Amino acid sequence: MKLRSSLFAVLRSNSALSSATNFPNVPNSALSTQISSNSQLPSTAECSRPWRSTACEFLDNLRFPSRVFCSRSAEASDLKPGCWNCGAVAPTSVVFLVCDSCRSIQPVDQSVDYFQIFGLEKEYEIGDVNLESKYKDWQKKLHPDLVHSKSDKEREYAAEQSARVIDAYRTLSKPLSRAIYILKLEGVDVDEEDTISEPELLNEIMEIREAVEEASGSQELNQIQSQMQEKLIHWSNTFAKALRNRNFNDAVLSVQRMTYYERVKEEITKKL
Amino acid sequence: MAEPIYTVASDSETTGEEKTTSTFPEIAVGIDIGTSQCSIAVWNGSQVELLKNTRNQKIMRSYVTFKDETPSGGVSNELSHEYDMLSGAAIFNMKRLIGRVDTDPVVRASKSLPFLVQTLDIGVRPFVAALVNNVWRSTTPEEVLAIFIVELKVMAEYQLKRPIRNVVLTIPVSFSRFQLTRVERACAMAGLQVRLMPEPTAVALLYAQQQQQAVHEGMGSGSEKIALIFNMGAGYCDVAVSAVGGGVSQIRALAGSPIGGEDLLQNTMKYLLPNSESIFSHRGIDEIRRMGLLRVVTQDAIHKLSYQSSVQIDVNLGNGSKLRKVLSREEFEMVNSKVFEKCENLIKQCLHDARVGTEDLSDVVVVGGCSYIPKIRNLLMEISKKKALHEGIDPLEAAVSGAALEGAIASGIGDPFGSLDLLSIQVTPLAIGIRADGNSFIPIIPKNTTMPARKELVFTTVQDNQSEALIVVYEGEETRAEENHLLGYFKIIGIPPAPKGIPEITICMDIDSSNMLRVLAWATLPGGQHPATPYMEVKMPTVDDGHGWCAEALHGKYGATMELVTLRKKG
Ligand SMILES: [Zn+2]
Repeated sequence: MKLRSSLFAVLRSNSALSSATNFPNVPNSALSTQISSNSQLPSTAECSRPWRSTACEFLDNLRFPSRVFCSRSAEASDLKPGCWNCGAVAPTSVVFLVCDSCRSIQPVDQSVDYFQIFGLEKEYEIGDVNLESKYKDWQKKLHPDLVHSKSDKEREYAAEQSARVIDAYRTLSKPLSRAIYILKLEGVDVDEEDTISEPELLNEIMEIREAVEEASGSQELNQIQSQMQEKLIHWSNTFAKALRNRNFNDAVLSVQRMTYYERVKEEITKKL
Repeated sequence: MAEPIYTVASDSETTGEEKTTSTFPEIAVGIDIGTSQCSIAVWNGSQVELLKNTRNQKIMRSYVTFKDETPSGGVSNELSHEYDMLSGAAIFNMKRLIGRVDTDPVVRASKSLPFLVQTLDIGVRPFVAALVNNVWRSTTPEEVLAIFIVELKVMAEYQLKRPIRNVVLTIPVSFSRFQLTRVERACAMAGLQVRLMPEPTAVALLYAQQQQQAVHEGMGSGSEKIALIFNMGAGYCDVAVSAVGGGVSQIRALAGSPIGGEDLLQNTMKYLLPNSESIFSHRGIDEIRRMGLLRVVTQDAIHKLSYQSSVQIDVNLGNGSKLRKVLSREEFEMVNSKVFEKCENLIKQCLHDARVGTEDLSDVVVVGGCSYIPKIRNLLMEISKKKALHEGIDPLEAAVSGAALEGAIASGIGDPFGSLDLLSIQVTPLAIGIRADGNSFIPIIPKNTTMPARKELVFTTVQDNQSEALIVVYEGEETRAEENHLLGYFKIIGIPPAPKGIPEITICMDIDSSNMLRVLAWATLPGGQHPATPYMEVKMPTVDDGHGWCAEALHGKYGATMELVTLRKKG
């Protein structure tokens, strides 16, 4: 909330902006809605904790019987090594989402990260690996539409695994969400609502906002768009370097900037 | 209401309840019930086959006649003359009316149909009736749909020599979840368990199968292809962008609108006979017949304009009024420029939502009854910057074939040649959210989210010590809440006293693998270990007909006393 409030303090001083972005003079809480619901950031826009989110944990704590929302998580007895159905030993070389012997879908194992699902090293730069085809391979094994067993249990595993692969695919396919995710794996939570303290960035934000505001046509907007793209590439490289040096402070700052430039890009796309 | 001769199970509200699983014990048939035509297809063990009726037709008319009180549909029935359909006794275009209330512009535009569609403009369902022996016999879109489905089912059971219990039915992209319940109800009345599939996604699945087959035959590269699917029939225009590879169709984006050949027809009728509305304002038998005549003549002219640049119209409408005119293709395109503009916007929006540029498009597939119209074909080639459209998919059989493929896949049967090694991954065609921040629609599950899906968002109170919150669930794309489709509402009660903005009210939405939507809501106070209110878990939609009234009444009665504002998205 702090980031948004401070951003808004900047934004609201610019009256032309608030009219152009259609933020009427409404209470602060309503304003923050606009920003957050416009944001396309995966970390905020999606439940990054797949399926077992706070609701389920709450329910678990209370032993609240919610069949629908919690049945998808595995029963403790199913988390034994090996296939729950035929007992086949889990392979050590690849992730064990589906049994090679009996094709049964396994319960979600939260210790398997998104990179492992896609057979990748836990690295930010993933090169031009074909995530889409790997994603489709998984879906053909895991999608609930293809589970023809009569067991409700396995259908639930399918829904859960399939949804997790969707999240993994989406998270890894975009640089910003991949950056946030890899930091999370390192135990660094990027609080997007953190205050922007760099005066340099605040100034830049002001300038970009004005430029977007005053842009007279699609040509100028496209120009700003490609500037944002350049900045994104620059800060993406900065992030990669910071991460390699395990300089998490710089990594977080890079993510904050990338977040901001992505937002501007979204906004421009809407205007175009 | 007279009992029909065939069995239609009771029209009870409980029918949707037992939709427990989406797996089928047998091969499900695919059914496409269009606004003007319907068809049925099945996987015959090696390929998809469209079934023919006794008159050797694969594509049958979607209408029901009520000639002697007993209804019969276009599958089994044969009209002695085209004009019989326009005597007031035949009901058609029901796909356009199902699940709509009488304030809906689509319903109002249906008033020129040659049977009775009356509206009170208050948000209830319209009064639809056929003229039987000079008496109006009322019916509902659900009943008419159920009649088609039963006829198709009986026909298939006879030919396949087995009972049909499961069906994959294609639906327009723009259908709300409330409309889906009406379709499900019609299927339940016909004694069928149904799986619903948006039309362009069925076409995309057929395309995926063709691509896969080309790979098996060593003709295709097998690489990822992005296809733009455009499907326009008599009642609806739908667009999809799908990323196809390895037999998997991953839908990237959907867009749809209730515009179609019916609009082209009505605009052209008005153009040919500008005072037609006043001529046909009283609905006597004569007026209905004349309106029907004009309809047939105009429809015929539009068909001809797909192949020739102008057409001569010459018809005696009776009562001394004659219509003689040469209609050119240019005139036809000018009269319908708004419709074509809307098509263009839908295509552009879908490409934008899919984040796909024209340079990424491998193929453009154009299907549906309107796919023959030159203007439509040119529009698609222009937008996609392509010199040719994809060939090899039958425009009238594509959707039903895709549905039959989905039926075979869902049944789990294997195919030794891998022809069924396919998967269709769907996205939400419309956003689902609640009313908050005044009268805004706040999406919780955005449009084009891959399913199954689950998202949540945190809201807070607007009043000090607000003890209740009204959760009104909508589906749609409009910013103002009431302009979207109302799905249902419920209250959270017992929020502990706290200043406004403090309680956290989490709304979680879940669409499971059988496309069931559930909404879960609860309130917490900051720092609290446990929720402060009981969990409310509600299956949606909960509304019945007359929901147009409902939203207004809710707003009027409760005003701001139970409102919410957004707090933040949960990480
Ligand atoms: Zn096994």
